[in-house]
Amino acid sequence: MIYKVSYVVTGKPHLGEIVNLDAPPRVGDRVQLGNEPCEVVEVIELIPPRENFAYLHVTCRPVQEKK
Amino acid sequence: MSVTDLLQHSELFLGLTPEQVGQVAMLGQEVTYKAGDVIIREGDPSDEIYVICSGTVEVEVSRGTIPDVTGPPRLTSLARLGQGQVFGEMALVDRGARSATVRCVKDGTEVCVIPRQALWALCDSDHHIGYVVMRNIAADLSFKLRHRNLRMRLAGGEA
Repeated sequence: MIYKVSYVVTGKPHLGEIVNLDAPPRVGDRVQLGNEPCEVVEVIELIPPRENFAYLHVTCRPVQEKK
Repeated sequence: MSVTDLLQHSELFLGLTPEQVGQVAMLGQEVTYKAGDVIIREGDPSDEIYVICSGTVEVEVSRGTIPDVTGPPRLTSLARLGQGQVFGEMALVDRGARSATVRCVKDGTEVCVIPRQALWALCDSDHHIGYVVMRNIAADLSFKLRHRNLRMRLAGGEA
């Protein structure tokens, strides 16, 4: 399965990202969106799957990296 | 991974057989960009469609309709696209000028560049390929619009 993912970021202006992944994102995952380290807080199916493509919408929040 | 394998991971060719994707791959050329490179520029003529094999690009539009002749154009970023995504696809549909600038943001970003006329010719000669590619372009544009709408909702209307 290929997961076409729409990432958006809460709490600040951010472009988000659209990317294809081999595995679905899960709540709690850490992702790097541009220069912004983020944590996944919600994953929903945006539209029904077609053949081997799934379409997900992922909401993230920025996280501060520990120094 | 071959270009054909990479294109099979793009939604643009979802529904085509490996042989048909191979026909498309033969039209394309792989190009590698550095961070900061402008891949396409707003207002330029459009002759190609692009599939991101690896890396990331950013889509930007100039603000206002009249270019600022006394300084650099003010650009607003619209979207960031990664592996498997397509850009330049509007040109395939309407043959208009580039509606946005696309800039490479990750060193070593690899893009498959497919000439519009060659892809049109393939779509004209094989209507199944043509139907599938056009349907997938419509689905991709719809997904991008949904992404933008959701981002606007989070930003309270500011895209």
